[in-house]
Amino acid sequence: MTTRRPGTVINLLWVTPWLVGLVLFFLLPMGMSFYYSLTDYSMLEVPLWIAFDNYAALFGDSVFWLAVRNTLIYAAISIPLAAIVSLGIAGLLDTDHPVSHVVRVLVFAPTVVPLVAAAMIWLWLFNSDHGLINAGLSWVGVNGPNWLQERGWAMAALIVMSLWSVGQAVVIYLAALQDVPSALVDAASIDGLGPVRRFVSVVLPTIAPAVVFNTIIQTITAWQVFATPYIMTEGGPDRSTYFYSHYLYDQAFLFQNMGYASALGWVQLLLITACIAVPYVMVRKFGGGP
Amino acid sequence: MIAGRDTLPGDNVLATVHRVWPRRTAIGGLVASAGGLLLFGPRPSDDVPAGRVILDYWEKWTGAEGEAMRLLVDEFNRTQDTIYVRYLAINSIDQKAMIAIAGGSPPDVIGLWNFNVPSYAEAGALLPLDDLAASAGLSRERYADAVWPLLTHEGRQWSMISTCGSLALYLNLDVLESAGIDPASTPRTLDDLDEMNERIIERSSDGKLERMGFLHTEPGWWSWIWGYHFGGSLLDSTGAPTADAPKNVAAYEWVRSYPERFGSRELLAFQSGLGFYGTAQYPFLTGKVASVVQGPWMANLINAFAPSLRYRAVPIPVDVGELDAAAPVGLIDGDVLVIPKGAKHPEASFEFITWLQERARLERLAAAHGKNTPLRETSTGFVENHSNGSIAVHNALASSPRAFVFPRTSVWPRYVSEFDAAFQGLWLGEQTPRAMLSGIQQTMVREIAKERGGRRRREQSAS
Repeated sequence: MTTRRPGTVINLLWVTPWLVGLVLFFLLPMGMSFYYSLTDYSMLEVPLWIAFDNYAALFGDSVFWLAVRNTLIYAAISIPLAAIVSLGIAGLLDTDHPVSHVVRVLVFAPTVVPLVAAAMIWLWLFNSDHGLINAGLSWVGVNGPNWLQERGWAMAALIVMSLWSVGQAVVIYLAALQDVPSALVDAASIDGLGPVRRFVSVVLPTIAPAVVFNTIIQTITAWQVFATPYIMTEGGPDRSTYFYSHYLYDQAFLFQNMGYASALGWVQLLLITACIAVPYVMVRKFGGGP
Repeated sequence: MIAGRDTLPGDNVLATVHRVWPRRTAIGGLVASAGGLLLFGPRPSDDVPAGRVILDYWEKWTGAEGEAMRLLVDEFNRTQDTIYVRYLAINSIDQKAMIAIAGGSPPDVIGLWNFNVPSYAEAGALLPLDDLAASAGLSRERYADAVWPLLTHEGRQWSMISTCGSLALYLNLDVLESAGIDPASTPRTLDDLDEMNERIIERSSDGKLERMGFLHTEPGWWSWIWGYHFGGSLLDSTGAPTADAPKNVAAYEWVRSYPERFGSRELLAFQSGLGFYGTAQYPFLTGKVASVVQGPWMANLINAFAPSLRYRAVPIPVDVGELDAAAPVGLIDGDVLVIPKGAKHPEASFEFITWLQERARLERLAAAHGKNTPLRETSTGFVENHSNGSIAVHNALASSPRAFVFPRTSVWPRYVSEFDAAFQGLWLGEQTPRAMLSGIQQTMVREIAKERGGRRRREQSAS
């Protein structure tokens, strides 16, 4: 015989709105999206069952591979770069100096600016003729490139722009750094470890959970990057900044291939899962992880 | 709390009150808010008269163009005692319409882009209008030659026109004169255009481009049209792609001659300093680019930001072998009205559309949008009173036998996406015209085969 704890029904009633939301707006759409990925579906017609044809078609789709390649390049450079920059800023801000409190606010402030507004600002910063970046380069005698119109430079510009929202990671790293026991660092100093060795052998293992967390979040963000390239380069020049989410969006709403777009969405989920498994497994294997 | 005592009589009661009251207050507040919203909350702004059939009409135009249509809708509503049109101007109309149709709750009338018609029609999402149009006397003869193909697909009529615009070459006469060019001798062939460009080009002391006569990428909205000006096309009569046909290759050889001649990097640097369309910094208005490919709506921009600018529109020049002054070449773009399948009141919807097709109303709408008429015959005052001094050129283009429309295929969005991407590669000098067009051809052969395969499967499944 099972016993029900008093208040269980009431508690369930209280969470019912959330449960209904979870089922209606998350689980059901996910299930439907998987079903659509197995169909030929344009939204204007009833879905036609084609089993795994959409998934098979991905292998022969050169634009799919191009979008994967572009996204991987973007992720492979922007994630470590963001980690280094945010950890560096957090390290500089890890003091009790009053100025550091002001700088913390300044570093976090860009993350609350809407992405579209930020993209418009960066669009002008990168303008090759009137932009501040090229103006700055010209002061030191460098003739700046056409940032957003030239292959290679456009990708570089988007990666630089991705550092705009590094503030969130800085806050997490800062909290982690403040939790590092000073006794450990002092002991390492007494043992004769230099600053680099102290950081690698003492600080880094201690803040590993924060590193893993930030890497996972940044990996997901990198795989889903859409708004900034959509506004700043429209995927160009010649699809050199055409990312996975942009292609998915185009397939769904521009080319009206909702079935194919759903398959792209599920493959994206698998790719993201595979990518976030790497740092997680590495930390588990080499220790210090959650 | 009093010192020395842990509890007081009545503490338990107070604790209960503190526990219960916030919850009661919260629930009471929520109920009061809900009641307040129900009683005094927002109401639909339309004052819909009782007893009328209500039509929901979604239109893609917002801003001044959307307001022009709203005025006509208001006039229709005033003259009616059986139908009431509820007008909603929204952006991204094709996506929202698609979702509404898929959800089984479409509006009664939708103002779509004409290139949406093939995919919507093939999917069976639109009501065919052949019979309704014939019974209302809205025949092909009434419309300018190039307009009818905008309304049809695979031999059936799926839409009615609301506005249309033909593309022409706009010339800044002030810049032409300053370069010593007689404004009367406007370019007719692409060789003439190249020559005009050479005479207008200005460079700074350090060799940077400061002014150009013509630039394909300004505004660059129609990267795919150039083959038509060499006598080419993008689809054959069977609907198969012809992107890599020799005339198209010749056209993009001409396009490539610009980055080859001036340098891709120099052109990109020049382009990046140009202002956007819709602003006073648009390079045609500032004189940085002396001629641009644009539609008749260009006059609205000129009148808004540079009313003293002297301009003229001429048919876009063609390859010398294609010159025929009596039959100019140009794209006709158009906005169409459709009745989606599942619309609640198709007859009433068509009555509203028919009312809009009356010449005076279409001309009023065209004038407000700054466009040419979609009709074969215009009223005497239309050209004289139009805000665009070159509107007669646009009217003539719409009636030209060599005017062309967006290729009528449901995979057109993919086709144009391929063109836009490859054009950038060509402009950067990274690929040859032949390689560019061959790549587009291969992709489109595959896409069209895929689309046809899907249609066959659907037909087999239905049978």
